Amino acid sequence: MSLNSFKRALWVYHLNTGSCNGCDIEILAALTPRYDIERFGMVLVGSPRHADVLLVTGPVTRQMEPRLKRVYEQTPDPKLVIVVGACGSEGGVFYESYNLVGPVDQIIPVDVYVPGCPPRPEAIIEAVVKAWVKLEKAAQRVA
Amino acid sequence: MEMLSPEEIVESFKTALASDFTDSKIYQKEVAIRKNLFTSIWIYVKREAFRKAVEHVCELQKYPHLSVISSSDRGDIVELIYHFTIYYGHNLKELSLGLCMDLPKEDLKIPTITDVVPGALFTERETQEMMGVEIVGIPDNRRLFLPDDFPQGVYPWRKDGRGPHDMLRVLPGRRGVRGGQNE
Amino acid sequence: MSETKTKTSYTIPIGPIHPAVHEAIRLDLGVDGEEIVDVDVVVGQVHRGIEWIGMNRNNPVQSIYLAERVCGICSTSHPFAFVQAVEHAADIEVPERAEYIRVIIAELERIHSHLLWAGVAAHEVGFDSVFYLVWRVREKVMDLMEYLTGNRNSKAMFQIGGVRRDITEEQFPRIKETLEYYRAVFSQLKTVFLDDITVRMRTRNVGILKTEDALKLLACGPTTRASGVPKDVRQDQAYGAYADLEIKAITPDVLTGTVVGDVYDRIVVRLLEVKQSVEIIERCLAEMPPGAILTEPKIAKLLAMLKRAEGEGVGRHEAPRGECFHYVRLEAGEETLTTWKIRAPTYANLMSIPTILKGGQIADVPIAFASIDPCISCTNRAIVVDIKTNEKSFLSGEELHKLSIEKTRRLKAGLDS
Repeated sequence: MSLNSFKRALWVYHLNTGSCNGCDIEILAALTPRYDIERFGMVLVGSPRHADVLLVTGPVTRQMEPRLKRVYEQTPDPKLVIVVGACGSEGGVFYESYNLVGPVDQIIPVDVYVPGCPPRPEAIIEAVVKAWVKLEKAAQRVA
Repeated sequence: MEMLSPEEIVESFKTALASDFTDSKIYQKEVAIRKNLFTSIWIYVKREAFRKAVEHVCELQKYPHLSVISSSDRGDIVELIYHFTIYYGHNLKELSLGLCMDLPKEDLKIPTITDVVPGALFTERETQEMMGVEIVGIPDNRRLFLPDDFPQGVYPWRKDGRGPHDMLRVLPGRRGVRGGQNE
Repeated sequence: MSETKTKTSYTIPIGPIHPAVHEAIRLDLGVDGEEIVDVDVVVGQVHRGIEWIGMNRNNPVQSIYLAERVCGICSTSHPFAFVQAVEHAADIEVPERAEYIRVIIAELERIHSHLLWAGVAAHEVGFDSVFYLVWRVREKVMDLMEYLTGNRNSKAMFQIGGVRRDITEEQFPRIKETLEYYRAVFSQLKTVFLDDITVRMRTRNVGILKTEDALKLLACGPTTRASGVPKDVRQDQAYGAYADLEIKAITPDVLTGTVVGDVYDRIVVRLLEVKQSVEIIERCLAEMPPGAILTEPKIAKLLAMLKRAEGEGVGRHEAPRGECFHYVRLEAGEETLTTWKIRAPTYANLMSIPTILKGGQIADVPIAFASIDPCISCTNRAIVVDIKTNEKSFLSGEELHKLSIEKTRRLKAGLDS
């Protein structure tokens, strides 16, 4: 199967909605020469307007909810949302705290979940590839 | 700067505070192979003598290190502990000094110490918003960790019904919240 | 410069780890031209109510794993301080072998954290290739941690009354091999960071924190040691195996001969601490006593013991960023902790930020802010407010990072011409 919808490599925007930073360092470690997702062409960008994929970590705290929504709206279509870590998928160890507004999928639609606390960089790379394949299939069905 | 032993420190508080000194506790524990001692001192004072006690700590050590202010809800009273450490910078000589006092819930006020210890600002702000204690004379009255739209009068560390149990997040698919506040 | 100062208030979202890592930190700077005049720190975006969860829902053993997730980078420091506080409160003994294993894990974490910071600092100045190189070097210690404990972060090694897994004699050769690697690489790191002229021009006399301010504002960790205050919990207080090892707090005059208290001094202190950690681990391996690793191996019995216990306790540990402090109170008959207070090191260091940033330039904000090694999830957010004019304009983290890189290029061009 050839990958058609992305004529260039995937650009990734990372957003932290209140996580402990464990997942964030694993995402950054995925960039470094040991795992090196840059050889697949994936790059971390500084603005959601340039991004194809949103990597969201953290249980969403009250203060970060408006920012999450704004970032989601600013990202142009076609886009993918990947939630990294147990906090974002279901609350993790913080599941009933008073400052949380729920796991990420209560606020924005999510395509791929990566469980783990924190998940390994290999798991994150696999998640991005799975999301890419999902988007390809969706684009082919529409075409 | 002269370094006093734990017993001498307790005596110096008794002398400085007279009747406002209520109790003291010294805890010592041997650590690892060489059995060096870990020492912590707890001094219980009446709230009226609080400022005098803090000034006495500043006499024992020029710039005492304040780690944090902790507060516990004990029913009718709130107990505040100021966790100081003195004699830092010297090998194995540092002592933990906890200054404890009780505040009745009807009158939760205590003066600020930011004029003597400027670094106490954050921990005083946190005590204000999380336990509902009013720090008189605090230079910056804003909330520290809680969002600005958090309801007033809800104090997360309280156990008397004014905690945030109405604000707990029930996850989708569950009927209610497990655990929660004391009934 | 004109007499009437123009006020511009910028709201700058700055990520403490990587400019692309937009963690919740807002800096509102008030500037006069290029110079920063006023600073306000606002925190709160990562507040997850951990203390509340520990007091209302978890038993003490579950709270260890909760304490690990206060911060993923210093994920050994918080459990270390927490279990000490509980052992103090319930008066539980710790076997000697467990104390040594705890120190080995804590020092491995210090190496990983300081290397992480070194990469981030290099990125803030504009040396991206150094960032990638240093993180590649860091992978060796991550591999070692995975070999010993099973995971790269969140290692779950601590238990009340000891440690959960043993470090046996068969594992020693692998540890020694990693330590040899770091010994060899240390001189290269020193050359890249401390002898490079551009790094020195960007960091010398930038972000100065004077000794007296460091004492008054209760700074801790490398931030205060770089300003000449020899505060180090490992040196000052008897806990773990540090009580046997006679650690000396590292201040920058060990290497450079003077104490200035700027960003360069903080780099010096952190790099020297990596070397010190390697030496500490070697001593621990040589002097490790035999014996049990847990006072009470059965968890049900441990929980029953804690439910009966009554008392209060204090636990402190020198995390890579500073002093990590936990206070615990236990009451007989209650399954959860009655009171739990956490104080993470960045909580204290953030109060020094206004003093560090004032009088400096906007282009220096990324490196000066990153020099205290902020772990925002330990603390929560910062807002820097500088008020000159009432106009508000927004500078994103990316733009700030660009300003920082441009300054480096300018300085380098000045050198080469």
